This record gives sequence, structure tokens and C-alpha cells, in this order.
Amino acid sequence: MTVYNEVDILLVEDNPDDLELALHALRREHLANNIFVVRDGEEAVEFLFCTGRFQDRSFENPPRLVLLDLKLPKLTGLEVLKLVKNDPRTKAVPVVVLTASREERDLVSSYNLGANSYIQKPVDFDQFREIVKSTGLYWIVINQHPISNPATMAARP
Amino acid sequence: MSSTPKILLVDDNPADANLTCEVLATSERQTQVSTVGDGEQALQFLHRSGQFADAVRPDLIILDLNLPRKDGRAVLAEVKADPELNELPVVIFTTSHAPRDIARCYELGANSYVSKPGNLGQFFSAVRSIENFWFGFASLPD
Amino acid sequence: MISSPTNGGGQSRLRVLLIEDAPADAEIEIAELRRGGFEVSADVVETQKQVRDHLEKTKYDVILADYSLPNFRGMDTLDILREKNLHTPLILVTGALNSETAVECVKQGAMDYILKDHLARLTISVRRALEDVRVRLERTRAQEQLAAKVEELARSNCDLEQFAYVASHDLQEPLRMVASYTQLLAERYRGKLDSSADRYINYAVEGATRMQALLEDLLSFSRIGRNGVKPAPTDVSSAIDEVLKNLELPLKEHSVTITCNPMPTVLGDRFQVVQLFQNLIGNAIKFRAKRNPCVTISAEKKDHEWLFSVFDNGIGIAADHRDLIFKIFQRLHTRVEYPGNGVGLAICKKIVEHNGGRIWVESELGQGSNFRFTFPAAPADKTGKKEDYELYAKNPVSR
Repeated sequence: MTVYNEVDILLVEDNPDDLELALHALRREHLANNIFVVRDGEEAVEFLFCTGRFQDRSFENPPRLVLLDLKLPKLTGLEVLKLVKNDPRTKAVPVVVLTASREERDLVSSYNLGANSYIQKPVDFDQFREIVKSTGLYWIVINQHPISNPATMAARP
Repeated sequence: MSSTPKILLVDDNPADANLTCEVLATSERQTQVSTVGDGEQALQFLHRSGQFADAVRPDLIILDLNLPRKDGRAVLAEVKADPELNELPVVIFTTSHAPRDIARCYELGANSYVSKPGNLGQFFSAVRSIENFWFGFASLPD
Repeated sequence: MISSPTNGGGQSRLRVLLIEDAPADAEIEIAELRRGGFEVSADVVETQKQVRDHLEKTKYDVILADYSLPNFRGMDTLDILREKNLHTPLILVTGALNSETAVECVKQGAMDYILKDHLARLTISVRRALEDVRVRLERTRAQEQLAAKVEELARSNCDLEQFAYVASHDLQEPLRMVASYTQLLAERYRGKLDSSADRYINYAVEGATRMQALLEDLLSFSRIGRNGVKPAPTDVSSAIDEVLKNLELPLKEHSVTITCNPMPTVLGDRFQVVQLFQNLIGNAIKFRAKRNPCVTISAEKKDHEWLFSVFDNGIGIAADHRDLIFKIFQRLHTRVEYPGNGVGLAICKKIVEHNGGRIWVESELGQGSNFRFTFPAAPADKTGKKEDYELYAKNPVSR
């Protein structure tokens, strides 16, 4: 399905409240036309590696940003991160860890495994929304994502 | 990160380096910026060797690509291959918009890639955004 | 070198190699040539060795050969000529020869054949042979000159393109410094120096920023055809979607109605196709008239090409400007009236022509413009059903 190939942000989140807040924050800023949600580590891996449910997806059209929770069913966020950042086909996709964890160990492991960045979810809802918004803005607007197909570069008027 | 955030700025163009420092200096947030002009010095700084024996470990590296002596890509590759240094976030900040350069940097493990805008206002915004995100929202290793 | 006037018939000096074993026949042939107006200097030979030796030492204008000599076939001279890479015309002068053999000889390379009892034709035949040589020589020379010119042009073109690219690319860096720091000066010192200083700084900033835009456009222009992308089937419809997304803000701001008819697949570089449509649609928005701006995009198939139309109801273009607007840096308005560098249409033209197409505009002042261009069709492209649909209404609905 073509819609799987035009995903701007892949949101990997199993907590329904956090998911709702994140979606709301991202949509409000019109940062992305196409936000796709997966709720466990296995689905995330299938999506990014174009297998299983997502075999129609193509490596040529990776999401521009992956927001990855660490605490996930089936496969943990760190395991997903390791798989994605160790494979040349997916290594370049920007993955930002968005987690409730306060463990220094998780932070260090994430950066070591190649996470592009690490964000701690604030407890406060407003702050959470703010942080998602700013993260989205930075990674979608300021940051240049790897372009596998030059056609995606906006032509200058 | 309780202390003042420390930035290692690697840029061989004094005008650009100056501009970046200007933007950071005008921010409400205090940052400590060390600037080096070539790739070899950058690595010496990070390894705290030679003239940089007293260097402090930075929290963020802002790295240009086209540098004398050792170019930005080589610095990036070395930093990300070194277990002592690879957790340091590296933001590539360069004039190049070439997709090849962008792709290559991500392959080498760059955390982020920002193109230096040609226009002053946008340049300010870019540096400000880098500072705001990495020190205001992201959590960095101690 | 045969020194002769342009008409080979005017040549008088003639060096002949006569391959003939009957001296009397040789005399008669020489006499006939003299009677025809030639100053003949002839060498008469009869063996293959003699033929070779003479061809080695002398440059002949023509060779007259008997068909059969005791130890030698006249036609074998052709092999010797080929061996030595000589193009001297050979005319067979012979006794009875059956017509099939004669035709065969001409096929094999003899210029002509003359029967010994019809020598009257000899002079004409020789003159025709000389003319033939002259024409061939001229053609070869012309071809060589053309090839040299083409190579020189290609090299010059390549140099020029490379120069344009390097110049605009390398100029960007110092220009950025000038632009950034003059802007910084403006901000830091505005009102703190005298009013002249403010004005001077503003002019400097304006100049620098304009130059930046110009360089970016030039870079863009020079990049066309240099990025080494092989033409591939490109879905025009999706390219236009991308353009509309890129132009989302101005489209909404000016409530532009876009009507896009079914679009085909063309053979090209997608990035260029996007650029092409973006420049045309961008122009349609920029040069809108007072009434509700509308842009209609359509395509029709013509043989192996698609003919596209981008029609707008904007300010239109006067007849004598219709060719001018495609020239690089050519503008029809002041910068105050309409912004821009005058590169957009030049880029469109370059893209279209690079892909083997043509671009032109049909327009009248005050009556909108129809920009039309051709593009090669992709080998097996499928056209959708013919139905019109609107993408943006006056109150845009998000897709």
C-alpha cells in the first residue's frame, strides 16, 4: 500500500495516553502529513525492515523520523534500536528515543547503540506536549534527513 | 547535566565560527564554547592530548565538514568508532546541501545534520534551534 | 596535389599511368587525350612489378589499364591501389568486353571502361574521373573540419558549464560571509552611526542578498544535464502533487484554483520534472491578474511525445516578448513590480530541451498565458481515464 511508503513520522508507543498526547502535539504543529503508529517492538521492526505485515514497504522511502519508546511489548526499544542502527539499510533513519525511563544506563546504552537523540518524557502533560512539539520541529524542520532519492528534495521556485 | 553545557565547535572559517559563537552568546542559556579550526585539533581536543591536555569533555560537538588537515567526515568516523567518544552527540553543521554528503554522514553515525543557511536570520534560527533542542529538550550523557 | 580550377574539366596537365602491352594502342590513347585538351605526361608499363614501382614513385591523376595483359590482370591494379591506400581513378581501356564483365568491373571499383574502338569517350571519361576525385577530396576535408569544430564546441561547452558550476559554487561561501556580516552590521549599528551609514549598509545588504539568490539560480541552471541521472519513467501526477505541496502557502494565500487533468508517465529526471512544473505554476501564481487566479494543467499524446499545457488567467505576455522571456536573466518588469531573477523560464527551457522537447508560450497581454512543452513518453505508459477533477477549491480542503 502506498500509504506505508509516505510515512513522515513513525511513532512507536504502546501507552495509549502518551500516544494520544504525542499525536495531538505533532498534528497541531502540522509537522507531518503522515504519522504512522505501531504499538510493539516487533511491529516496529517489521515496518522498518519492510517485512511481514509491511512487505509492500520499500527501503527507498524510510520515515523521516522514528520516535521510539523503550518500554515495549514483544521487543524492547533498545532491541529495536540495535537492529535498526546495525543494518546499513536502516542505519541512517533518524531515531529519537522518547521514554519515561530515568535510568542513566538506558540513556548511555541508547546513545551507544546509535540513537540520534534521547528525550525523557516529562510527567506534566503540558510539558510533554511541548517537548514532543519541539522535538518534532527540530527533527522535521531544522534537521536534514538522509535523502535516498533526490526527488524528495524540494525544488526551488 | 547540572553544569554549564560545553560545546566543541569545529569550523575552519573564523567568520562562521564567530557568528555561531555570537548566537550562542546572546542566548539566555549560558554555554561554554571551545573552537578549533581543523580536524586534527578536534581529535586532539577530544583525546585531551598535546596542547589540549586540559580540555574539558564537551557535551555536544558541532562539526563542519570541509576542514583542513583532517576533514569532518574523518573526524566523525573516528569519534563514532571510538567507544570512549561514540556516545557524544555530533551535529554536522555545514554549507553542503549535497544529498551524498548528508547520506554519508548518517552512515558514519552523525546524530544530526543541519545545513548552514545563507541568510543571517535563518543562520541565527538554526544555531538557536540546535542549542535549544540539545540543551533544552534532549538528555545527554553525563 | 592536383592544382586545378574548381571545375575539373578545366584541368590541363595530366599525369597518366598507362598499363598496356601494345605500344601502338598506348600511343593512340595518349594522342586522344591530347586531342581532348590535356597536356599528357604518360608512363607506360606492362607488368605488376612495374605498376608497383611507378605507383611508388609518382602521383598519377588517372590510370588507364587494359583488361588483360600477358602476366597481369588490369583489375588487379585496384588491389595494389587499395594496398597503398591510393584513390587514383582507374579506367579500363580494352578491346571487346562483354557487358556483364564490364559492369562487374565497375562494381569492383573501376571508374569506367572504354572500348578501344570507341576512344572518343576517353576524354570525357577522364574528366569525369578527375571531377569525382575533386569532389571526394572536398567532402572529406569538409567532414574533417566539421568533426574538429564539433569536438572544439563540445570541449568549450563542457568547460563553460564546469566554469559556471564552479564559479557559482565557490562564490557562495565568501558571499555568505558578506551577506551575514553586513546584516549583522545593520542590526548591531542601526541608528548608532549617521543616517548615511544606515543607507549604505542597507544597499550593501540588498546587493549581497540579491547576489546570493542569483548565484543559487545560476547553480540550479548549470546543474541541468550535469547531475548524471539517467532518464527513467516519471509519474507526472505525483511530481505535480509534490509541486503543489511545495507551493502550498502561496496557493492558499492567493486562493488559486488548480485543475489538473490526468497526467501520463514521461521519460526523464523526476527532480527536473518537479522543477519544471514548479517554475511554471509558481510563475502563474506570481503573475496573476486581479480576478480569481486559475491554473489548468493538461496533457495530450502526440506520437512518442506528450504535449503539456499549463494555462493561467494571469496578466499575459505581449507578442514580441514571447521568445524573450525564455532567455536567462531576461525580465519584463522591475524588481519592485515583481520579484525574481529571470532564471525560472530559462531553467524550464533548458530542462525541456535537455530532454529533447520544445517549449513555447501562447499568450496575449491581459488574456492569460498557455505555456506548452513536449516531453518524451515513457515506453509503456498507461493513461488514466479522461476525467477532470479539482485539487484545490477556493476554500482549500486538506488532502
